[in-house]
Amino acid sequence: MITQMQVKGLMFDPYNNAYIVVLRDEEHSDMLPIWVGKSEAGAISMSLENVTPPRPMTHDFMKSLLDAYNAKVISVVITDLSEHTYFAKIHLMYEDSEYTVDARPSDAIALALRSNAPVFANDSVITKQSSEELEQWLENLKPEDFGKLDS
Amino acid sequence: MSAVDVPKERDLVEYRVDRILEEANTDTRIVVLARQDGALDTFPIWVGAAEGNAIKLALDTMITPRPMSHDLIKSFAEHLNITIQRVVIADVKSSTYYAMVYVANKGVERTIDARPSDAISLALRAPCPIYITQDVLKRRSTTNLDAWLAKLESKDIGTPEVQET
Repeated sequence: MITQMQVKGLMFDPYNNAYIVVLRDEEHSDMLPIWVGKSEAGAISMSLENVTPPRPMTHDFMKSLLDAYNAKVISVVITDLSEHTYFAKIHLMYEDSEYTVDARPSDAIALALRSNAPVFANDSVITKQSSEELEQWLENLKPEDFGKLDS
Repeated sequence: MSAVDVPKERDLVEYRVDRILEEANTDTRIVVLARQDGALDTFPIWVGAAEGNAIKLALDTMITPRPMSHDLIKSFAEHLNITIQRVVIADVKSSTYYAMVYVANKGVERTIDARPSDAISLALRAPCPIYITQDVLKRRSTTNLDAWLAKLESKDIGTPEVQET
């Protein structure tokens, strides 16, 4: 089973000096945090805030390549969590065939946002995540922590 | 892109990535390109730290546990049978270089606008040749460059400029 998730925002995690992409399901019952690096966070942030950079950033280029041959991103799925690393799949449609490409969730999300493609998470990932200690830490976060990217 | 803008083969000079330098005190890297034919010329391009690291990973042929962004681009190309033919640093405006990535699929060629850092990162992974147009080579800024590079290199190999006694 997979659940559609909305990209709610980005937070800075000062303990790990990293950023967290926060995904929530539509009923707001599940939350999936994904730790990403600074440049990956920047790529996601630009899309969330509808910033058009003067030059194409890496994921803009990625989308240009797909656009050049009319390949469409149908959806992305956060598929697995192992050793604290998430795995994602990008589903593409090209010339009536579907292709599935392995990716990091940060790349998958950055591309999905630029392609207006839905983001899904495997239910197993959401369950695993909520069973970990960080749930409590996230519960203690205040709304103001969900600000714009601090960079 | 109109046909007039497409650089002709004779206008292109092939370069390779020679090394990546870290600039002290700032969050930037310098990608040093050198002439592929061995002629003495280096062409530095300032890029962000993340972009520099992406190039360095490819230059050092490091295998990362998960595909990095440019590995993903290469993976898309492989899945869709797109050939990355060459990248060309084709323009410079206000000290910003502009690159073009030439791709082909079943004889259909496309040119995609890119930052040089993305183009070079992809070229190393494809792999495909990196060219600079004669026009860009003529118009580049070289002020104090050699002296500045020499200074950086001496730092790079750990020789202090002033030794304490």
